[in-house]
Amino acid sequence: MRGFVRPRLTGDAVAGLVAVSVSVWLFFVAGDLPQSALVPIGPGFYPRLVLGATALAGAALVLRAFLVGSGAPAAGPAPNYRLVLVAFVLFGLYVTLLPLLGFRIATFLFVAAMQSAIDPPRTRRALLVVTLVALGTTAVTYLVFERYLYVLLPRGTWTDF
Amino acid sequence: MFEQLGTAILDLLQLKFLVPLVIGTFVGVVGGALPGVTITMTIIVVLPFTFGLDPLQGLAAMTGVYVGGSAGGLVTAVLLGIPGTPSAIATTFDGYTMRRNGEPGRALWLGIWASCFGGLLGGVFLIATTGPLAAIALEFGPWEFFALFIFALSMVVGLTEDSLLKGLLAGTFGLLVTTFGSDPIMSVPRFTFGTEFLRGGFDFLPVLIGIFAFAQIMTELEKMHGGSGSGGARAATPNLKIAQLKVIGEILARPVLLLWSTAVGLLIGVLPAIGGSAASVMAYDQAKKISRRPERFGTGIPEGIIASESSNNANVGGSLVTIMAFGIPGDAVTAVMLGAMTIHGIQSGPLFMVQEAKLAYGIFAAYLLAHPIMIIVMALGARFFLRVVTVPKSALVPIVLVLCTVGAYALKNTIDNVWVLALFGVFGYALVKLKFPLAPVILGLILGDQIEVNLVRALMNDPNPLLFVTRPISALLLGLSVASVLFSLWQRRRQAARLAALPETAPDF
Repeated sequence: MRGFVRPRLTGDAVAGLVAVSVSVWLFFVAGDLPQSALVPIGPGFYPRLVLGATALAGAALVLRAFLVGSGAPAAGPAPNYRLVLVAFVLFGLYVTLLPLLGFRIATFLFVAAMQSAIDPPRTRRALLVVTLVALGTTAVTYLVFERYLYVLLPRGTWTDF
Repeated sequence: MFEQLGTAILDLLQLKFLVPLVIGTFVGVVGGALPGVTITMTIIVVLPFTFGLDPLQGLAAMTGVYVGGSAGGLVTAVLLGIPGTPSAIATTFDGYTMRRNGEPGRALWLGIWASCFGGLLGGVFLIATTGPLAAIALEFGPWEFFALFIFALSMVVGLTEDSLLKGLLAGTFGLLVTTFGSDPIMSVPRFTFGTEFLRGGFDFLPVLIGIFAFAQIMTELEKMHGGSGSGGARAATPNLKIAQLKVIGEILARPVLLLWSTAVGLLIGVLPAIGGSAASVMAYDQAKKISRRPERFGTGIPEGIIASESSNNANVGGSLVTIMAFGIPGDAVTAVMLGAMTIHGIQSGPLFMVQEAKLAYGIFAAYLLAHPIMIIVMALGARFFLRVVTVPKSALVPIVLVLCTVGAYALKNTIDNVWVLALFGVFGYALVKLKFPLAPVILGLILGDQIEVNLVRALMNDPNPLLFVTRPISALLLGLSVASVLFSLWQRRRQAARLAALPETAPDF
């Protein structure tokens, strides 16, 4: 069995599999769309064309990933995925809290939390800078958009602010 | 033509248009100068601020950002050796070397004036060719438009760096997103799964901001390991004083180089998919090839700076031609510009020049005026920009995210669009991590509806599908699409060994 390389489930293979699965599923969903007497190809034709191409390309990617692999991993320091995850979570919380707390409170909290996550304030001065940046961002964005550009930013259902 | 242009320039000189143009150019230069903040990102951030403006004011601001951003990248490229935008990479080769040789002012101003001249020559091309090209496009039927869009997409797919397959998949992802919501002909709901929100499909802007902004911000964040991660090292402020006429004379004394580099930038701008970074590198390479002393390139000579900077600003003019005449964005930046036009109620494409001539000439005028404004902004602010690049990313990242959120929200005053932004943010970051190119996704997003509409219209006119390959222009364009993919495959095979040996580069947003 010398020389046999066991296929690994690489990122490319996973991406290809997801592409194939989603496109096959949507392909069948598109098949149920109603036909029209006026348009010769119907509303499902074009999506099915695109989905077919996606499924084929996805399958080819899976095949290539199993046969050739996905290339060497990138060199250099390991990416800080923890910070990326924290950023996504904080953003998710921000979007959730926007309609509940309102733009001004949610934005102040988000900007302060995000700054603290990226570079935790260790001195009083740093804490003051974090607070001022959060306040400034909130105030300037609010004033510019609400007062000058007439965009009504979200009000909080919990805070009415 | 000249009368309309003159009127448009006089209009633009009114304070209500001049102010957004100046602010746009200023913000563009700052955004371009900030390493890690691309022109695309700057335009995305500025876009929501233009929602409340009238179309010409908004487009003047966006044009200013585009022109300013294309030149702004050179400030940090020359003074810190860090290109502010990918399109300024080639400027560092000789610009930073000249700065280290003790001539920072000369290096900076050679770049600024070369940008200005290249950009203005690009403007002449833009004004002279957009109308005639649009007139040709007006003769197109749905078969030709379908083939043209497929050609644009195939160019983008074919030029993806990592893998043709991934480029193709990325393109189909973009096309797929446009199939959600009501179909464009009969308004039959597709893939809505009973939700009211999906009936209208995904709005282009939140999807675009999500994919690009998050992909870029998260890629920056993952490089940070405890620390503020300022955009650039704080450098001692160099002496930037220089005799301007002498620098202008240095550039004009090399007319062939200037014209050749501008032509390279224009050509790459007109062709979909290639972008400003390739324009500057290719012009630099060309300049080296036509030089009598190519060995001096990289030692801090003016030719290197002139080639790179004139080319990347001329590229803007070329890209605008393709948007305005055909409605096809050349790269991510122009895709956002096209999105900006759509948001301001403008349907770009061949009819734009006829139906919205005043606005079209307004864009030309804004483009021309943005260059002298850029010079003034640079003259007043070059030292300031050096300080701006030291703004910690811990402050910059949340501010950009808030502006992205407001941009997505303000489009329809709905929080649903902010969720779309978040959803596609995750999707965009996943694509970057899996090394999928983003440009085909965006082009697919922009062209998806048009491809479908023209396909259906063609088949409604005549159900014979062979017309796509028997009508000469359509056949030519489809043939070119196949040829571009085959050429890319051949080139990939030929350069496989060399590409494998190259170090990995950051994604070009």
